[in-house]
Amino acid sequence: MAWWVWCVAVVAVVGLLAAVVLGVQARRRRGGVIVVRRGRRSGRGGAR
Amino acid sequence: MRRELGKGEPVRELTPAAGLTGRPVVTLGGEAVGQVKDVVLDAVNGRIAGFTLAGRGLFSGPLRKSVPWAGVHALGTDAVMIPSEEVLEDKAAVTTGEEASGGLVRGARVLTDLGVQVGTVRDVIVEAGGEGAVVGVEMSSTEALGHHEATVFLALGSRPAMTGDTLMVPVRDTEDVAGDLTGLAAAVRRRRLGGDGGPGAVGEGRAL
Repeated sequence: MAWWVWCVAVVAVVGLLAAVVLGVQARRRRGGVIVVRRGRRSGRGGAR
Repeated sequence: MRRELGKGEPVRELTPAAGLTGRPVVTLGGEAVGQVKDVVLDAVNGRIAGFTLAGRGLFSGPLRKSVPWAGVHALGTDAVMIPSEEVLEDKAAVTTGEEASGGLVRGARVLTDLGVQVGTVRDVIVEAGGEGAVVGVEMSSTEALGHHEATVFLALGSRPAMTGDTLMVPVRDTEDVAGDLTGLAAAVRRRRLGGDGGPGAVGEGRAL
């Protein structure tokens, strides 16, 4: 194969890996609003 | 014991709970210790229980630490302020992984005590100051409220009965829906002027 084909293939693989890593990271960091139903200490809640 | 919201108590700034995710957590010394990942609501007391944290960098994931609500100094529009890193606790102090996977609020159905679904939860509205009380809900309405899939705000009693699947409200509370946060604040104020959590407070937050 021509050398430039290898270049394109390497760039494509690196790009794919980067996209996968970023996607997994975004999923790990994604949060939400959760309801729990166990009694916790009620503390005063510092926010004034 | 949780202090009940008193009659006539002023309504502080109302904030959609989902808007708190991603907000940086900063100590009073100026050190950013992470960002809010999950907002954890305590259904028993009807208020914020705390926050789970994620790291700040692009490649950092969830942290093993959490911020209990008692450790929050201020809930600002741009950051959650804590006195120091000493208030951080283990993640399990706020929620477990099992609860986190099963208790997402978004998408929960809103049912009246007569068994009619009046909407689907889009977000929960909390009071930024004081005890971080859950005061209302933003929901997508059903035909039961006269408008299909309209965004409406509903004030909740002092101890709303909610799980990750269902939020139960007294049917008479659905007669006072608001179109925006300002309207919700007015509805909450009316409730407080009228007494505790309003005429239709569900009570002890029973499991459904």
